[in-house]
Amino acid sequence: MTKVFEINHITKDYGNQKGVFDVSFSVNQGEVMGFLGPNGAGKTTTIRQLMGFIHPDSGEVKINGLDCFKDAAKIQETLGYLPGEIAFMDGMTGIEFIKFIADMKNMTDLSYAKELMEFFELDPKGKLKKMSKGMKQKIGIVCAFMNHPKQVILDEPTSGLDPLMQNRFVELILKEKAKGTTILMSSHIFEEIERTCDRTVIIKSGHIMAVEDMNKLKSGKKKNYIVRFKDKDSAEQYAKEHQISKEAVEDATITVGVKGNVDDFIKGISKYEIKDLSIKSQSLEEMFMHFYGGEENVK
Amino acid sequence: MLSKPLLKREIKSNYKILLFMFAVMTMYGAIIIAMFDPELGESLKMMAEGMPQLFAAFGMNSFSSVLVEFLAQLLYNLIFVVFPLILIIILTLRLLIHYNDRGSMAYLLATPNSRGKIVRTQLFVMVLANISLCVFATVMCIIISQIMFPGELEIGKFVVLNFGLLCLIMFFSGLCFCTACIFQEAKLANGIGIGISIAFLMIKMIAQTGDKAEFFKYLTPMTLFDTKALVTNQSKGYIGAIVLLVVGLIFYGVGVKVFCRKDLSL
Repeated sequence: MTKVFEINHITKDYGNQKGVFDVSFSVNQGEVMGFLGPNGAGKTTTIRQLMGFIHPDSGEVKINGLDCFKDAAKIQETLGYLPGEIAFMDGMTGIEFIKFIADMKNMTDLSYAKELMEFFELDPKGKLKKMSKGMKQKIGIVCAFMNHPKQVILDEPTSGLDPLMQNRFVELILKEKAKGTTILMSSHIFEEIERTCDRTVIIKSGHIMAVEDMNKLKSGKKKNYIVRFKDKDSAEQYAKEHQISKEAVEDATITVGVKGNVDDFIKGISKYEIKDLSIKSQSLEEMFMHFYGGEENVK
Repeated sequence: MLSKPLLKREIKSNYKILLFMFAVMTMYGAIIIAMFDPELGESLKMMAEGMPQLFAAFGMNSFSSVLVEFLAQLLYNLIFVVFPLILIIILTLRLLIHYNDRGSMAYLLATPNSRGKIVRTQLFVMVLANISLCVFATVMCIIISQIMFPGELEIGKFVVLNFGLLCLIMFFSGLCFCTACIFQEAKLANGIGIGISIAFLMIKMIAQTGDKAEFFKYLTPMTLFDTKALVTNQSKGYIGAIVLLVVGLIFYGVGVKVFCRKDLSL
Protein backbone atom coordinates (compact mmCIF):
# COMPACT_ATOMS: atom_id res chain seq x y z
CA MET A 1 0.00 0.00 0.00
CA THR A 2 1.25 3.49 -0.83
CA LYS A 3 2.09 5.65 2.11
CA VAL A 4 0.67 9.15 1.66
CA PHE A 5 1.66 10.80 4.93
CA GLU A 6 4.98 9.64 6.33
CA ILE A 7 6.28 10.81 9.65
CA ASN A 8 9.68 9.33 10.49
CA HIS A 9 11.15 9.77 13.96
CA ILE A 10 10.45 13.49 14.24
CA THR A 11 11.43 15.40 17.33
CA LYS A 12 10.57 19.03 17.96
CA ASP A 13 11.56 20.06 21.45
CA TYR A 14 10.10 23.31 22.80
CA GLY A 15 11.60 22.69 26.23
CA ASN A 16 9.64 21.98 29.41
CA GLN A 17 8.69 18.63 27.87
CA LYS A 18 6.55 20.44 25.34
CA GLY A 19 6.76 19.34 21.74
CA VAL A 20 6.92 15.94 20.08
CA PHE A 21 9.54 13.29 20.64
CA ASP A 22 10.53 10.56 18.20
CA VAL A 23 7.09 10.48 16.62
CA SER A 24 6.60 8.03 13.76
CA PHE A 25 3.52 6.89 11.90
CA SER A 26 2.20 6.79 8.37
CA VAL A 27 -1.17 7.05 6.67
CA ASN A 28 -1.91 4.88 3.65
CA GLN A 29 -3.64 5.85 0.44
CA GLY A 30 -7.39 6.14 0.96
CA GLU A 31 -7.21 5.69 4.69
CA VAL A 32 -8.92 7.84 7.32
CA MET A 33 -6.59 8.13 10.26
CA GLY A 34 -7.57 9.53 13.61
CA PHE A 35 -5.06 11.50 15.64
CA LEU A 36 -6.18 11.29 19.21
CA GLY A 37 -4.74 12.88 22.28
CA PRO A 38 -5.57 15.30 25.09
CA ASN A 39 -4.89 19.03 24.76
CA GLY A 40 -1.21 19.84 24.53
CA ALA A 41 -0.22 16.30 23.54
CA GLY A 42 1.54 17.42 20.35
CA LYS A 43 -1.14 16.92 17.72
CA THR A 44 -0.91 20.45 16.32
CA THR A 45 2.90 20.42 16.52
CA THR A 46 2.92 17.29 14.35
CA ILE A 47 0.42 18.80 11.92
CA ARG A 48 2.45 22.03 11.63
CA GLN A 49 5.36 19.94 10.46
CA LEU A 50 3.19 18.17 7.90
CA MET A 51 2.09 21.59 6.65
CA GLY A 52 5.69 22.82 6.41
CA PHE A 53 5.16 25.63 8.94
CA ILE A 54 7.99 24.38 11.15
CA HIS A 55 11.07 22.20 10.73
CA PRO A 56 11.53 19.10 12.83
CA ASP A 57 14.69 19.22 14.98
CA SER A 58 15.40 15.75 13.67
CA GLY A 59 13.62 13.17 11.57
CA GLU A 60 11.68 13.72 8.36
CA VAL A 61 8.11 14.44 7.30
CA LYS A 62 6.83 13.59 3.84
CA ILE A 63 3.60 13.77 1.90
CA ASN A 64 3.47 11.77 -1.34
CA GLY A 65 7.22 11.34 -1.02
CA LEU A 66 7.79 15.12 -1.05
CA ASP A 67 9.56 17.00 1.73
CA CYS A 68 6.93 18.89 3.72
CA PHE A 69 9.01 22.02 4.21
CA LYS A 70 10.88 22.31 0.93
CA ASP A 71 8.05 21.22 -1.36
CA ALA A 72 5.17 22.75 0.60
CA ALA A 73 3.74 24.65 -2.38
CA LYS A 74 3.75 21.51 -4.55
CA ILE A 75 2.11 19.44 -1.81
CA GLN A 76 -0.61 22.06 -1.36
CA GLU A 77 -1.82 21.53 -4.92
CA THR A 78 -3.69 18.42 -3.82
CA LEU A 79 -3.99 18.99 -0.07
CA GLY A 80 -6.85 20.40 1.97
CA TYR A 81 -6.17 21.82 5.42
CA LEU A 82 -8.31 23.00 8.29
CA PRO A 83 -6.31 24.85 10.97
CA GLY A 84 -7.01 24.17 14.61
CA GLU A 85 -7.24 27.85 15.37
CA ILE A 86 -9.53 29.94 13.26
CA ALA A 87 -7.91 33.18 12.19
CA PHE A 88 -9.34 34.78 9.11
CA MET A 89 -8.40 38.05 7.55
CA ASP A 90 -9.86 41.32 8.72
CA GLY A 91 -12.67 43.15 7.07
CA MET A 92 -13.85 40.44 4.68
CA THR A 93 -17.23 38.79 4.43
CA GLY A 94 -17.45 35.02 4.51
CA ILE A 95 -18.13 34.68 0.82
CA GLU A 96 -15.34 37.12 -0.07
CA PHE A 97 -12.94 35.04 1.95
CA ILE A 98 -14.04 31.79 0.33
CA LYS A 99 -13.67 33.35 -3.11
CA PHE A 100 -10.28 34.76 -2.20
CA ILE A 101 -8.99 31.37 -1.04
CA ALA A 102 -10.45 29.80 -4.20
CA ASP A 103 -8.46 32.33 -6.26
CA MET A 104 -5.34 31.54 -4.26
CA LYS A 105 -5.91 27.87 -5.05
CA ASN A 106 -6.30 28.72 -8.76
CA MET A 107 -9.85 27.37 -8.73
CA THR A 108 -12.34 28.45 -11.35
CA ASP A 109 -15.25 26.21 -10.45
CA LEU A 110 -17.03 27.14 -7.22
CA SER A 111 -19.91 24.70 -7.59
CA TYR A 112 -18.62 22.28 -4.95
CA ALA A 113 -18.00 25.16 -2.55
CA LYS A 114 -21.64 26.16 -2.98
CA GLU A 115 -22.74 22.59 -2.46
CA LEU A 116 -20.74 22.43 0.78
CA MET A 117 -22.20 25.72 2.02
CA GLU A 118 -25.69 24.38 1.48
CA PHE A 119 -24.80 21.08 3.10
CA PHE A 120 -23.62 22.89 6.24
CA GLU A 121 -26.45 25.44 6.06
CA LEU A 122 -23.92 28.22 5.93
CA ASP A 123 -24.88 31.75 5.02
CA PRO A 124 -21.52 33.38 4.33
CA LYS A 125 -22.73 36.87 3.52
CA GLY A 126 -21.92 38.46 6.87
CA LYS A 127 -18.62 39.94 8.02
CA LEU A 128 -16.17 37.34 9.31
CA LYS A 129 -15.49 39.38 12.41
CA LYS A 130 -19.09 39.13 13.54
CA MET A 131 -19.49 35.40 12.91
CA SER A 132 -19.88 32.81 15.65
CA LYS A 133 -17.22 30.18 16.17
CA GLY A 134 -19.39 27.53 14.53
CA MET A 135 -19.91 29.62 11.41
CA LYS A 136 -16.21 30.32 11.11
CA GLN A 137 -15.50 26.64 11.51
CA LYS A 138 -17.90 25.88 8.66
CA ILE A 139 -16.10 28.38 6.44
CA GLY A 140 -12.82 26.68 7.30
CA ILE A 141 -14.31 23.31 6.38
CA VAL A 142 -15.60 24.65 3.06
CA CYS A 143 -12.15 26.08 2.28
CA ALA A 144 -10.46 22.78 3.11
CA PHE A 145 -12.68 20.63 0.88
CA MET A 146 -13.89 22.89 -1.92
CA ASN A 147 -11.17 22.00 -4.44
CA HIS A 148 -11.62 18.21 -4.14
CA PRO A 149 -8.32 17.57 -2.36
CA LYS A 150 -6.75 14.12 -2.54
CA GLN A 151 -5.27 14.44 0.94
CA VAL A 152 -6.82 16.27 3.84
CA ILE A 153 -5.43 17.33 7.21
CA LEU A 154 -7.99 18.44 9.78
CA ASP A 155 -7.05 19.86 13.15
CA GLU A 156 -9.95 19.38 15.57
CA PRO A 157 -12.53 19.81 12.82
CA THR A 158 -15.73 19.67 14.86
CA SER A 159 -14.84 22.20 17.53
CA GLY A 160 -17.54 24.85 17.65
CA LEU A 161 -20.07 22.78 15.68
CA ASP A 162 -23.39 21.81 17.25
CA PRO A 163 -24.34 18.11 17.36
CA LEU A 164 -26.41 18.34 14.17
CA MET A 165 -23.50 19.85 12.27
CA GLN A 166 -21.09 17.38 13.83
CA ASN A 167 -23.23 14.67 12.25
CA ARG A 168 -23.13 16.46 8.91
CA PHE A 169 -19.41 16.61 9.24
CA VAL A 170 -19.20 12.87 9.85
CA GLU A 171 -21.32 12.36 6.73
CA LEU A 172 -18.90 14.52 4.76
CA ILE A 173 -15.91 12.50 5.96
CA LEU A 174 -17.62 9.23 5.05
CA LYS A 175 -18.39 10.61 1.61
CA GLU A 176 -14.80 11.69 1.13
CA LYS A 177 -13.64 8.30 2.33
CA ALA A 178 -15.80 6.65 -0.33
CA LYS A 179 -14.11 8.89 -2.91
CA GLY A 180 -10.75 7.55 -1.78
CA THR A 181 -9.47 10.69 -0.06
CA THR A 182 -6.68 10.17 2.44
CA ILE A 183 -7.51 11.94 5.68
CA LEU A 184 -5.65 12.70 8.89
CA MET A 185 -7.94 14.11 11.52
CA SER A 186 -6.97 15.19 15.01
CA SER A 187 -9.36 15.20 17.91
CA HIS A 188 -9.58 14.89 21.64
CA ILE A 189 -12.98 13.25 21.45
CA PHE A 190 -13.02 9.51 20.95
CA GLU A 191 -16.56 9.27 19.56
CA GLU A 192 -15.77 11.57 16.67
CA ILE A 193 -12.85 9.39 15.61
CA GLU A 194 -14.80 6.22 16.30
CA ARG A 195 -17.42 7.01 13.70
CA THR A 196 -15.12 7.90 10.84
CA CYS A 197 -11.65 6.43 11.12
CA ASP A 198 -10.04 3.17 10.05
CA ARG A 199 -7.13 3.51 12.42
CA THR A 200 -6.04 5.99 15.01
CA VAL A 201 -2.77 7.28 16.38
CA ILE A 202 -2.83 7.92 20.08
CA ILE A 203 -0.43 10.55 21.35
CA LYS A 204 0.28 11.67 24.87
CA SER A 205 2.83 14.22 26.16
CA GLY A 206 4.55 14.27 22.77
CA HIS A 207 5.02 10.52 22.57
CA ILE A 208 3.12 8.08 20.38
CA MET A 209 1.44 5.54 22.61
CA ALA A 210 -0.16 3.38 19.96
CA VAL A 211 -1.36 3.16 16.41
CA GLU A 212 -4.48 1.04 16.71
CA ASP A 213 -7.07 -0.46 14.46
CA MET A 214 -10.41 1.19 15.17
CA ASN A 215 -12.30 -2.11 15.41
CA LYS A 216 -9.95 -3.35 18.06
CA LEU A 217 -10.43 -0.17 20.08
CA LYS A 218 -14.19 -0.34 19.76
CA SER A 219 -14.41 -3.93 20.93
CA GLY A 220 -12.19 -3.21 23.89
CA LYS A 221 -14.07 -0.10 24.89
CA LYS A 222 -15.80 -0.14 28.22
CA LYS A 223 -19.11 1.59 28.70
CA ASN A 224 -20.23 2.90 32.06
CA TYR A 225 -23.91 2.81 32.91
CA ILE A 226 -25.36 4.75 35.79
CA VAL A 227 -28.23 2.76 37.25
CA ARG A 228 -30.57 4.24 39.87
CA PHE A 229 -32.45 1.63 41.86
CA LYS A 230 -35.65 1.96 43.86
CA ASP A 231 -33.74 2.19 47.12
CA LYS A 232 -30.38 1.64 48.72
CA ASP A 233 -31.16 -1.93 49.76
CA SER A 234 -31.88 -3.19 46.26
CA ALA A 235 -28.78 -1.40 44.99
CA GLU A 236 -26.65 -3.16 47.56
CA GLN A 237 -28.30 -6.44 46.78
CA TYR A 238 -27.52 -6.01 43.06
CA ALA A 239 -23.95 -5.11 43.84
CA LYS A 240 -23.55 -8.22 45.96
CA GLU A 241 -25.11 -10.43 43.31
CA HIS A 242 -22.85 -9.13 40.52
CA GLN A 243 -19.69 -8.73 42.58
CA ILE A 244 -19.51 -4.97 42.19
CA SER A 245 -17.21 -3.18 44.58
CA LYS A 246 -18.71 -1.06 47.37
CA GLU A 247 -17.12 2.14 45.96
CA ALA A 248 -19.35 1.97 42.91
CA VAL A 249 -22.45 2.08 45.07
CA GLU A 250 -23.61 5.51 46.08
CA ASP A 251 -26.89 5.57 47.88
CA ALA A 252 -29.36 3.96 45.43
CA THR A 253 -27.12 4.52 42.42
CA ILE A 254 -24.49 2.20 40.97
CA THR A 255 -22.01 2.89 38.19
CA VAL A 256 -21.56 -0.34 36.27
CA GLY A 257 -18.77 -0.84 33.76
CA VAL A 258 -19.74 -3.09 30.86
CA LYS A 259 -17.26 -4.40 28.34
CA GLY A 260 -18.41 -6.10 25.15
CA ASN A 261 -21.73 -7.86 25.56
CA VAL A 262 -24.39 -5.61 27.02
CA ASP A 263 -27.13 -8.27 27.04
CA ASP A 264 -26.18 -9.90 30.35
CA PHE A 265 -26.14 -6.52 32.02
CA ILE A 266 -29.61 -5.58 30.80
CA LYS A 267 -31.07 -8.95 31.78
CA GLY A 268 -29.40 -8.62 35.16
CA ILE A 269 -30.93 -5.26 36.02
CA SER A 270 -34.34 -6.17 34.61
CA LYS A 271 -35.04 -8.16 37.76
CA TYR A 272 -35.03 -4.95 39.78
CA GLU A 273 -37.17 -1.89 39.77
CA ILE A 274 -35.09 0.73 37.96
CA LYS A 275 -35.75 4.45 38.39
CA ASP A 276 -33.21 5.71 35.89
CA LEU A 277 -30.56 4.47 33.49
CA SER A 278 -27.98 6.60 31.73
CA ILE A 279 -24.64 6.23 29.99
CA LYS A 280 -21.62 7.98 31.35
CA SER A 281 -19.32 8.90 28.51
CA GLN A 282 -15.74 7.93 28.98
CA SER A 283 -13.14 10.66 28.97
CA LEU A 284 -10.00 10.26 26.96
CA GLU A 285 -8.00 9.86 30.15
CA GLU A 286 -10.23 7.03 31.25
CA MET A 287 -9.87 5.44 27.84
CA PHE A 288 -6.12 5.44 28.07
CA MET A 289 -6.29 4.14 31.59
CA HIS A 290 -8.51 1.39 30.37
CA PHE A 291 -6.51 0.42 27.28
CA TYR A 292 -3.05 0.72 28.60
CA GLY A 293 -3.62 0.29 32.31
CA GLY A 294 -1.24 1.60 34.90
CA GLU A 295 -0.67 5.15 36.02
CA GLU A 296 2.65 5.50 34.22
CA ASN A 297 0.90 5.65 30.87
CA VAL A 298 -1.76 8.12 31.74
CA LYS A 299 -0.05 10.37 34.24
CA MET B 1 6.81 35.49 -9.03
CA LEU B 2 3.85 37.20 -7.38
CA SER B 3 0.40 36.03 -6.37
CA LYS B 4 -2.18 38.02 -8.29
CA PRO B 5 -5.20 37.38 -6.03
CA LEU B 6 -3.19 38.33 -2.95
CA LEU B 7 -1.87 41.46 -4.62
CA LYS B 8 -5.38 42.49 -5.59
CA ARG B 9 -6.67 41.87 -2.11
CA GLU B 10 -3.84 43.82 -0.41
CA ILE B 11 -4.25 46.81 -2.69
CA LYS B 12 -7.97 46.82 -2.04
CA SER B 13 -7.57 46.69 1.72
CA ASN B 14 -4.71 49.22 2.00
CA TYR B 15 -5.27 51.94 -0.58
CA LYS B 16 -7.35 54.05 1.82
CA ILE B 17 -4.40 54.42 4.18
CA LEU B 18 -2.31 55.66 1.28
CA LEU B 19 -5.01 58.17 0.30
CA PHE B 20 -5.08 59.45 3.87
CA MET B 21 -1.30 59.95 3.77
CA PHE B 22 -1.69 61.82 0.47
CA ALA B 23 -4.18 64.17 2.12
CA VAL B 24 -1.96 64.86 5.13
CA MET B 25 1.09 65.44 2.94
CA THR B 26 -0.87 67.81 0.71
CA MET B 27 -1.85 69.85 3.72
CA TYR B 28 1.71 70.14 5.01
CA GLY B 29 3.08 70.69 1.52
CA ALA B 30 0.70 73.58 0.91
CA ILE B 31 1.49 75.21 4.25
CA ILE B 32 5.26 75.04 3.81
CA ILE B 33 5.14 76.25 0.21
CA ALA B 34 2.96 79.17 1.29
CA MET B 35 5.63 80.14 3.82
CA PHE B 36 8.04 80.77 0.95
CA ASP B 37 6.19 84.06 0.57
CA PRO B 38 8.77 86.76 1.52
CA GLU B 39 6.35 88.38 3.99
CA LEU B 40 5.52 85.15 5.77
CA GLY B 41 9.21 84.24 5.66
CA GLU B 42 10.04 87.39 7.63
CA SER B 43 7.83 86.42 10.54
CA LEU B 44 9.18 82.88 10.41
CA LYS B 45 12.72 84.24 10.64
CA MET B 46 11.78 86.22 13.71
CA MET B 47 10.37 83.15 15.35
CA ALA B 48 13.49 81.17 14.48
CA GLU B 49 15.67 83.80 16.07
CA GLY B 50 13.61 83.56 19.23
CA MET B 51 13.99 79.77 19.56
CA PRO B 52 17.07 78.87 17.52
CA GLN B 53 17.65 75.41 19.07
CA LEU B 54 14.10 74.19 18.53
CA PHE B 55 13.99 75.42 14.97
CA ALA B 56 17.37 73.90 14.26
CA ALA B 57 16.17 70.50 15.46
CA PHE B 58 13.54 70.61 12.75
CA GLY B 59 16.12 71.71 10.21
CA MET B 60 14.88 75.28 10.06
CA ASN B 61 17.94 77.31 10.99
CA SER B 62 18.30 79.39 7.87
CA PHE B 63 15.90 80.12 5.07
CA SER B 64 16.89 79.96 1.47
CA SER B 65 15.44 82.30 -1.09
CA VAL B 66 15.53 79.54 -3.71
CA LEU B 67 12.26 77.60 -3.61
CA VAL B 68 13.71 74.13 -4.20
CA GLU B 69 16.30 74.65 -1.44
CA PHE B 70 13.62 76.04 0.82
CA LEU B 71 11.51 72.92 0.36
CA ALA B 72 14.52 70.61 0.72
CA GLN B 73 15.22 72.17 4.05
CA LEU B 74 11.78 72.69 5.54
CA LEU B 75 9.79 69.84 4.05
CA TYR B 76 12.21 67.06 3.13
CA ASN B 77 14.40 67.19 6.19
CA LEU B 78 11.72 65.96 8.52
CA ILE B 79 8.04 66.29 7.66
CA PHE B 80 8.14 64.29 4.45
CA VAL B 81 10.23 61.66 6.18
CA VAL B 82 7.95 61.21 9.16
CA PHE B 83 4.74 60.55 7.23
CA PRO B 84 6.19 57.90 4.93
CA LEU B 85 7.72 56.30 8.01
CA ILE B 86 4.29 56.10 9.66
CA LEU B 87 2.92 54.52 6.48
CA ILE B 88 5.75 51.98 6.45
CA ILE B 89 5.08 51.01 10.05
CA ILE B 90 1.35 50.56 9.42
CA LEU B 91 1.95 48.55 6.27
CA THR B 92 4.53 46.28 7.89
CA LEU B 93 1.91 45.48 10.51
CA ARG B 94 -0.85 44.88 8.01
CA LEU B 95 1.13 43.05 5.35
CA LEU B 96 3.18 40.77 7.52
CA ILE B 97 2.98 40.94 11.30
CA HIS B 98 -0.79 40.53 11.62
CA TYR B 99 -0.77 37.50 9.34
CA ASN B 100 1.85 35.79 11.45
CA ASP B 101 0.56 36.91 14.79
CA ARG B 102 -3.11 36.13 14.23
CA GLY B 103 -2.41 32.94 12.32
CA SER B 104 -4.17 33.84 9.08
CA MET B 105 -0.86 33.18 7.32
CA ALA B 106 -1.85 29.51 7.70
CA TYR B 107 -4.62 30.03 5.16
CA LEU B 108 -2.29 31.72 2.69
CA LEU B 109 0.25 28.92 3.00
CA ALA B 110 -2.42 26.24 2.72
CA THR B 111 -2.65 27.14 -0.96
CA PRO B 112 -0.25 26.11 -3.72
CA ASN B 113 1.81 29.29 -3.29
CA SER B 114 5.31 29.12 -1.89
CA ARG B 115 6.35 31.25 1.05
CA GLY B 116 8.65 33.13 -1.28
CA LYS B 117 5.77 34.03 -3.56
CA ILE B 118 3.59 35.19 -0.67
CA VAL B 119 6.25 37.32 0.98
CA ARG B 120 7.43 38.77 -2.34
CA THR B 121 3.85 39.84 -3.05
CA GLN B 122 3.62 41.62 0.31
CA LEU B 123 6.95 43.27 -0.35
CA PHE B 124 5.78 44.40 -3.75
CA VAL B 125 2.78 46.11 -2.17
CA MET B 126 5.15 47.92 0.19
CA VAL B 127 7.43 49.09 -2.62
CA LEU B 128 4.43 50.16 -4.65
CA ALA B 129 3.22 52.28 -1.72
CA ASN B 130 6.70 53.83 -1.30
CA ILE B 131 6.89 54.77 -4.96
CA SER B 132 3.32 56.12 -5.07
CA LEU B 133 4.05 58.31 -2.08
CA CYS B 134 7.15 59.85 -3.66
CA VAL B 135 5.50 60.33 -7.04
CA PHE B 136 2.53 61.94 -5.34
CA ALA B 137 4.76 64.25 -3.27
CA THR B 138 6.59 65.34 -6.42
CA VAL B 139 3.50 66.05 -8.48
CA MET B 140 1.59 67.65 -5.63
CA CYS B 141 4.41 70.06 -4.70
CA ILE B 142 5.05 70.99 -8.32
CA ILE B 143 1.38 71.83 -8.86
CA ILE B 144 1.05 73.87 -5.67
CA SER B 145 4.32 75.72 -6.37
CA GLN B 146 3.23 76.55 -9.89
CA ILE B 147 -0.04 77.94 -8.61
CA MET B 148 1.47 80.02 -5.80
CA PHE B 149 4.82 80.97 -7.32
CA PRO B 150 4.72 80.31 -11.06
CA GLY B 151 8.09 79.41 -12.54
CA GLU B 152 9.96 79.53 -9.20
CA LEU B 153 10.49 75.79 -8.68
CA GLU B 154 13.39 74.17 -10.52
CA ILE B 155 11.63 70.97 -11.45
CA GLY B 156 14.72 68.95 -12.42
CA LYS B 157 16.35 69.52 -9.05
CA PHE B 158 13.10 68.87 -7.26
CA VAL B 159 12.70 65.48 -8.95
CA VAL B 160 16.22 64.54 -7.86
CA LEU B 161 15.30 65.49 -4.30
CA ASN B 162 12.28 63.20 -4.42
CA PHE B 163 14.35 60.37 -5.81
CA GLY B 164 16.58 60.80 -2.76
CA LEU B 165 13.50 60.64 -0.55
CA LEU B 166 12.44 57.41 -2.25
CA CYS B 167 15.85 55.92 -1.48
CA LEU B 168 15.51 56.87 2.18
CA ILE B 169 12.00 55.43 2.38
CA MET B 170 13.17 52.22 0.74
CA PHE B 171 15.87 52.01 3.38
CA PHE B 172 13.35 52.39 6.23
CA SER B 173 10.81 50.00 4.73
CA GLY B 174 13.59 47.45 4.20
CA LEU B 175 14.61 47.83 7.82
CA CYS B 176 11.07 47.40 9.18
CA PHE B 177 10.27 44.55 6.81
CA CYS B 178 13.47 42.70 7.61
CA THR B 179 13.08 42.92 11.38
CA ALA B 180 9.43 41.85 11.02
CA CYS B 181 10.65 38.74 9.19
CA ILE B 182 13.39 37.96 11.68
CA PHE B 183 11.38 38.14 14.90
CA GLN B 184 8.43 35.88 15.44
CA GLU B 185 6.76 37.55 18.37
CA ALA B 186 4.60 40.45 17.24
CA LYS B 187 5.91 42.86 19.87
CA LEU B 188 9.50 42.37 18.78
CA ALA B 189 8.72 42.07 15.08
CA ASN B 190 7.01 45.42 15.26
CA GLY B 191 8.88 47.17 18.04
CA ILE B 192 12.44 46.69 16.87
CA GLY B 193 11.78 48.18 13.43
CA ILE B 194 9.87 51.12 14.86
CA GLY B 195 12.38 51.63 17.67
CA ILE B 196 15.41 51.74 15.40
CA SER B 197 13.68 54.01 12.88
CA ILE B 198 12.60 56.51 15.52
CA ALA B 199 16.05 56.43 17.12
CA PHE B 200 17.63 57.30 13.75
CA LEU B 201 15.17 60.16 13.37
CA MET B 202 15.81 61.54 16.86
CA ILE B 203 19.57 61.33 16.43
CA LYS B 204 19.28 63.33 13.24
CA MET B 205 17.27 66.00 15.03
CA ILE B 206 19.88 66.22 17.77
CA ALA B 207 22.67 66.42 15.21
CA GLN B 208 20.97 69.42 13.59
CA THR B 209 20.82 71.47 16.79
CA GLY B 210 24.38 72.76 16.56
CA ASP B 211 28.10 72.29 16.32
CA LYS B 212 28.51 70.55 19.65
CA ALA B 213 26.06 67.80 18.69
CA GLU B 214 27.22 67.55 15.14
CA PHE B 215 29.13 64.28 15.62
CA PHE B 216 25.73 62.64 16.11
CA LYS B 217 25.26 62.77 12.38
CA TYR B 218 27.65 59.85 12.06
CA LEU B 219 25.26 57.73 14.11
CA THR B 220 22.26 57.92 11.82
CA PRO B 221 21.96 56.75 8.22
CA MET B 222 19.60 59.66 7.66
CA THR B 223 22.70 61.80 7.20
CA LEU B 224 23.08 60.01 3.86
CA PHE B 225 19.88 61.70 2.74
CA ASP B 226 21.56 65.06 2.26
CA THR B 227 18.78 67.25 0.93
CA LYS B 228 21.02 70.26 0.46
CA ALA B 229 23.57 68.30 -1.53
CA LEU B 230 20.82 66.78 -3.66
CA VAL B 231 19.31 70.11 -4.72
CA THR B 232 22.66 71.76 -5.29
CA ASN B 233 23.82 68.94 -7.53
CA GLN B 234 26.68 67.69 -5.34
CA SER B 235 27.83 64.13 -5.90
CA LYS B 236 27.82 63.28 -2.16
CA GLY B 237 24.05 63.69 -2.30
CA TYR B 238 23.70 61.06 -5.03
CA ILE B 239 26.15 58.67 -3.44
CA GLY B 240 24.35 58.87 -0.10
CA ALA B 241 20.97 58.20 -1.72
CA ILE B 242 22.26 55.22 -3.69
CA VAL B 243 23.85 53.74 -0.56
CA LEU B 244 20.51 54.01 1.25
CA LEU B 245 18.73 52.34 -1.64
CA VAL B 246 21.22 49.50 -1.86
CA VAL B 247 21.12 48.85 1.89
CA GLY B 248 17.31 48.88 1.74
CA LEU B 249 17.33 46.30 -1.04
CA ILE B 250 19.74 44.13 0.93
CA PHE B 251 17.34 44.30 3.89
CA TYR B 252 14.53 43.19 1.59
CA GLY B 253 16.58 40.25 0.34
CA VAL B 254 17.54 39.15 3.83
CA GLY B 255 13.93 39.48 5.03
CA VAL B 256 12.61 37.27 2.22
CA LYS B 257 15.32 34.65 2.81
CA VAL B 258 14.66 34.53 6.55
CA PHE B 259 10.90 34.32 6.07
CA CYS B 260 11.26 31.38 3.68
CA ARG B 261 13.31 29.39 6.15
CA LYS B 262 11.98 30.19 9.58
CA ASP B 263 9.56 28.29 11.77
CA LEU B 264 6.11 29.88 11.83
CA SER B 265 3.90 29.09 14.78
CA LEU B 266 0.60 29.11 12.96
